[in-house]
Amino acid sequence: MNQVGGTKTKRKPPSARRKAVHGDNDHSVTAEITLLLNTLRELAAIRSTAEDAAARILDSAEGLLSLADKEEAEKAQGAILEIMTACGFHDLVGQRVTKITETLDCVIANRLTGEEPVRAKTSAKTGSEITLEGPSHSTAQDQARIDALFREKN
Amino acid sequence: MALDPSTPVLVVDDYKTMIRIIRNLLKQLGFVNVDEASDGTAALNMMREKDYGLVISDWNMEPMTGYELLREVRADDHLSRTPFIMVTAESKTDNVVAAKKAGVNNYIVKPFNAATLKSKIDAIFGEPS
Repeated sequence: MNQVGGTKTKRKPPSARRKAVHGDNDHSVTAEITLLLNTLRELAAIRSTAEDAAARILDSAEGLLSLADKEEAEKAQGAILEIMTACGFHDLVGQRVTKITETLDCVIANRLTGEEPVRAKTSAKTGSEITLEGPSHSTAQDQARIDALFREKN
Repeated sequence: MALDPSTPVLVVDDYKTMIRIIRNLLKQLGFVNVDEASDGTAALNMMREKDYGLVISDWNMEPMTGYELLREVRADDHLSRTPFIMVTAESKTDNVVAAKKAGVNNYIVKPFNAATLKSKIDAIFGEPS
């Protein structure tokens, strides 16, 4: 999970950071927070745009699929199903945007209070002791690796 | 044991797009009786009202995750044998192993395609993929 804030060696003690937040740097912190809030709005717009696009593509693909059914066009069906499954980008975009949004929320909270950032919500959605990480960066190999895990005996 | 295409299937995901995709894929595989739920709690309530021959669930949902749903299902005498496929972006080995230990029948990583879904369903019900 993303670590929010600086490294241990460079990090100032909380009291010093609070002084920075409430002292001479008030204006720059305000500007920074405004920038971050604008970024959050952009991320929300990306998620909304992706959702709309996926829905419109699915509408068209479903329409095509009903035509392909009638003509028994197997190749067309395969292509349409590929279009449909590709619409899953909306889910993955949404999950990645959520991770970024939660991280930015932590940064904003940190800038406002000078306290240690709380852990991002995504990693806290555990369902017991399990930490969720969202989409990985190597999905092509993931399925094969998981299939191998499932072939192993307990 | 082949799965009867008229068997009710429950798809659980908090993204309507994903439910729509999986519903369409299932339709192409011949499944016509597909219900949907947007999280584990809703799914569990539906499973206690109706017998499902297969559950296809996302993991990362609120308030009840797919993993919690799986554990609830496996702990329930009436539901414990329901075939359960996890379809999720979560691919960390520890999580996959946890799901396997909890009794998931198969595991699909997003993004996936129609062939992968078919092969995992076939694997559970003993048909060649």
